[in-house]
Amino acid sequence: MNSEIKKIVKQFKSKKGALISILQEVQKKYGYLSSNTISAVAEELKISENETYGVATFYSQFRFNKPGKYQIKACQGTACHVRGAKKILGEIEQELKITHGETTEDELFSLEKVACMGCCALAPVTVVNDKVHGTCTPTKVRKTIEDLKKEG
Amino acid sequence: MDFNNIQKKTTAKWENLVNSKDPVIYYGAASCGRAAGSLDSKKVIEETLKKLKIKAKLVEVGCIGPCCYEPLIYIQKPGSLPICYYNVTLDKAEKLVKDIFTKNKPRKDMALGVLGDKPIGKIPPIYDHSIFKNQVRLVLRNCGIIDPKDIDHYIAHDGYQAIKKVISMKPQEVIEEIKKSGLKGRGGAGFSTGMKWQFCRDAPGRPKYLICNADEGDPGAFMNRSLLEGDPHAVLEGMIIAAYAIGANQGYIYIRGEYPLAIERLNNAIKQMKNYNLIGDNILGSNFNFNIEIKTGAGAFVCGEETALMASIEGHRGMPRPRPPFPAQSGLWGKPTNINNVETMGSIANIIRMGGGEYSKLGSDTAKGTKTFSLVGKIKRPGLIEIPLGTKLKDIIYEVGGGIDNDKKFKAVQTGGPSGGCIPASKLDLTVDYQSLTAVGSIMGSGGLVVMDEDTCMVDIARFFLDFTQDESCGKCTPCRIGTKAMLDILTRITEGKGKEEDLDELARLCDTINKGSLCGLGQTAPNPVLTTVRHFKDEYLEHIRNKKCRASVCQELFLSPCQNTCPAETNVPGYMQLIKENRFVEAYKLNRESNPFSAVCGRICFHPCEDKCRRAQIDKSISIMALKRVVTDRAFEVKGNSIFKMKKLKDTGKKVVIIGGGPSGLTAAYFLKRLGHEVTVFEAHSKPGGMMVQGIPPYRLPREIIEREINSIEKMGVKIKLNTRVGKDISIKEIKEKHDAIYIAIGNYKEYALGIENEGANGVISGLQLLKETGQGKKVKVGKKIVVIGGGNSAIDTARTARRLGAEVTILYRRERKDMPAFEEEIDDALEEGIKLDVLVAPSEVLVKNGKVAGLKCTRMSLGSYDDSGRRRPVPIKDSEFDVDCDMIITAIGQSPDSAFLNDFSREILAKNGTIKVDKWTRSTSVKGVFAGGDVAGSGQTVIQAIADGKETSGEIDKYLTGKNRLEEIVGDYSYQMDLPDNQKPMTRFESRKRKPKERIIDFKEVCFGYNEKECLAEVERCLRCDIRDEDEAGGDS
Repeated sequence: MNSEIKKIVKQFKSKKGALISILQEVQKKYGYLSSNTISAVAEELKISENETYGVATFYSQFRFNKPGKYQIKACQGTACHVRGAKKILGEIEQELKITHGETTEDELFSLEKVACMGCCALAPVTVVNDKVHGTCTPTKVRKTIEDLKKEG
Repeated sequence: MDFNNIQKKTTAKWENLVNSKDPVIYYGAASCGRAAGSLDSKKVIEETLKKLKIKAKLVEVGCIGPCCYEPLIYIQKPGSLPICYYNVTLDKAEKLVKDIFTKNKPRKDMALGVLGDKPIGKIPPIYDHSIFKNQVRLVLRNCGIIDPKDIDHYIAHDGYQAIKKVISMKPQEVIEEIKKSGLKGRGGAGFSTGMKWQFCRDAPGRPKYLICNADEGDPGAFMNRSLLEGDPHAVLEGMIIAAYAIGANQGYIYIRGEYPLAIERLNNAIKQMKNYNLIGDNILGSNFNFNIEIKTGAGAFVCGEETALMASIEGHRGMPRPRPPFPAQSGLWGKPTNINNVETMGSIANIIRMGGGEYSKLGSDTAKGTKTFSLVGKIKRPGLIEIPLGTKLKDIIYEVGGGIDNDKKFKAVQTGGPSGGCIPASKLDLTVDYQSLTAVGSIMGSGGLVVMDEDTCMVDIARFFLDFTQDESCGKCTPCRIGTKAMLDILTRITEGKGKEEDLDELARLCDTINKGSLCGLGQTAPNPVLTTVRHFKDEYLEHIRNKKCRASVCQELFLSPCQNTCPAETNVPGYMQLIKENRFVEAYKLNRESNPFSAVCGRICFHPCEDKCRRAQIDKSISIMALKRVVTDRAFEVKGNSIFKMKKLKDTGKKVVIIGGGPSGLTAAYFLKRLGHEVTVFEAHSKPGGMMVQGIPPYRLPREIIEREINSIEKMGVKIKLNTRVGKDISIKEIKEKHDAIYIAIGNYKEYALGIENEGANGVISGLQLLKETGQGKKVKVGKKIVVIGGGNSAIDTARTARRLGAEVTILYRRERKDMPAFEEEIDDALEEGIKLDVLVAPSEVLVKNGKVAGLKCTRMSLGSYDDSGRRRPVPIKDSEFDVDCDMIITAIGQSPDSAFLNDFSREILAKNGTIKVDKWTRSTSVKGVFAGGDVAGSGQTVIQAIADGKETSGEIDKYLTGKNRLEEIVGDYSYQMDLPDNQKPMTRFESRKRKPKERIIDFKEVCFGYNEKECLAEVERCLRCDIRDEDEAGGDS
């Protein structure tokens, strides 16, 4: 793992202020930031772990536990809120039996609520991994989860 | 390659595409298009073309604007302009392609318009569509037209012409041009772009930096995303010009991580620019060097604030710092930096090409140019638009946006994201520019316009925004970190029914402190949503605090279910649905009577606002609540007769109350006041009690014995009803006041409005109310043979259907469109089924008289003008369009006013200018102590159920006045029923009530509608979702 981290840091060697970009690359590779990877990054950059954690925990994109195979993001932006996003989030929580911020026991699904995906004209919106699902309804969302469960 | 040659090559490439001998299929594949399934549709189209052995070019384009119509596919047949087709989902794509290419069908039904200025057959140019007519697409000119992945397309559309011009100018000349344009920052602050560039240029220090702020964090805004995905070069060209002007050689684009497609487009665009020497060293052979690095945000709204953004680029926590010094003097790494928003950058090349002076001709005096907006929320046609600044808000919502989705009532439009505010219906006339939005308490912001309707709770919206800013607050300064939490706590309490009277003052104090004390714009503007919602929707806050009521049925703790909450009388609908299921009809009826003593009446004629909010409609159709209510009342009478009228009653208080007006409002108040233990007398001017229920609603809708049953039950309780007694004539109100402890005035509106046209008093012109009263009493009335009824409300329909039953040929004339008629939809349908004609957009101008009697009616045709505050178009007479309608009787039914003049002697303050009685909306009291009013005469909703609700509410207020406490809750009985969540979410048919055949029913006044039989009743009640059941109620606790 350390050699991978070294490689990533080297990529950004010439750029100023690259800590956030480095952490993004690390998360892209491992799916999340573990305490080990954070230590390794701090060591490579010769900055304190404290500072590294400080930056990582400031930004909501960074996760500190393993995500599910299917990462569900339920948008709760204004347009989505006004078109029933709260109910959609509730439906997903009920279906998966987890609350937002958690991962299912079988590690198949993790759920997050996010502020705005920028697909407001198709509110309410849910994103599964990279796929954007627009004009969600409780029925549609339940079906999507059922289909993903079947795929495993 | 020399740029001139590049231009020639790219222009030729574009011409080849436009004049292609093979068909060309353009498909919209920006994020919205993809979310709607455009890539799946593209696949189907490719397969279909292959099957048909048609060789076609496929070109990906960005978003042309109307996201609601995605997937958008344009099909260009050889030698023709492309036609844009909408909602081309994968199930429709194959047929569309086959129809166009093998059957030569143009498919007008799926066409949005021609992408050009000429029609093709019957398909008009897309720019004539009401979505596009008011738009001026300058920044978005290429979006949805060119392939954003191909720089050649951009260059063929005057791309990089501005750079060519700029490198021959002096940097200061460039700045002057931008100043001349009047361009203001499009990110929200609205600061003069030219001046900002000047500050940076003039600042000492090297190197200088240029930043493009693409951290579009406002929830509800996606204009920048669309521009970057659809035409990234527009922004990049602007950046080069900006860098040249200020003297920067390094630029950054700080873009949200949530926009992966836009990031991909930018990376690709920059790579292509390198090939044409448009970026890097010696751009286009000049001395100017410029490089751009893309920095991805990691999810922090505050990083949209310039100092926080720069901290983030530097690799730190995105925490703002105090200004001064401003970025222009000391920005990134302490060096002079200029930061502009994506749209600002996207405007620059246009300004250089057309000239600052030309640009400044667009827009208004105080706000130049155009602005992109994301028009979203409860709007019919959500999407991306670009309009000249100074356009009316009303026009944006109704003309461009198509009005409110599902034709619901407009409530507010939220602008400026979490830093902005909510603008109510009364301010829809304002023009969209920086100043007017600030004047109503909001801001322009980045361009998000979130439309809200009657189902949005404004307190919840304020709480929603505070929740957001609280979450996104960086925590550096106390006023924001602690202040937003404090505001959020108060708002949350209010939405949970735990609000206190002092909360609004406390919120105001917090708003002031947070605004003045916060370090950056996030904190400073965090109070705005609270400030505007309290300013424009104060009553809604007070309702939450005082009455624990959320009228929009959003704040879950304040109501049982949306149906119960929307019923003006708050009838426990899910409760009696369950009782029906359990075959307990008597209890179901009694549960109804806890809220409404005229449940049997309402089960036949209510306008059922409950059904409009029924959540079942999200699955299939709303529950037929009214029809089920009717079953309850009919069955309960069958089973138990009169003994079912025994309801809980409190001890006698010895207080005496008089009710003036024996209609639904007065009698309801009498019913509740009697149950509260008071002595009640009702004075009724007519010979029969019941008010509009007997005088306004015909027997074929409401059989007389139904009303009589429920009125008798009130009399049996001991309420004294004195008929044929007109207060103000037979007895004075002063006398009543002296002998009684409280008075409730509910005299209704019985004066028919005059038409205000010539010869209105002729023989043969009668009032609708008069006809309804007489036929309602069972009198035989003689009417003409050819009748015209004027009006569009329920009275007009009732009048028309009554006249029809008396043997006449009837036409209804209404001055607006059918959808604007206040009458119930079902009533209009029933009338049309009975052979009554409806002529809309017609207004009467003169009664034609012959031999002293009505011989006809002169009318004018109307056209629809501009929108008014209610979202309806104003009818405007069409010149020289008069025509005569042949008739021998004219019936007016355009509304009624109160006959309240007699109250002037009693008190000079009691009446409003229009004759309605002024009441305090919280205590329901008039200006005279101990005198209350409600129903139509107090300006209430002009429906039976609202009048009933007024009666109930006022009885509680009178009780409070008389005993010190509102004891309405103490008289409610105990009802228990099962609380199991039904498993019924698969779609089911809604049973419509059966009716008598039109030909059979128009010959008498017998009831038209049949009640549900047992099978229909059980099937319908099965569909109820029991929205009243919460997690805690379910067996097994929380899920």
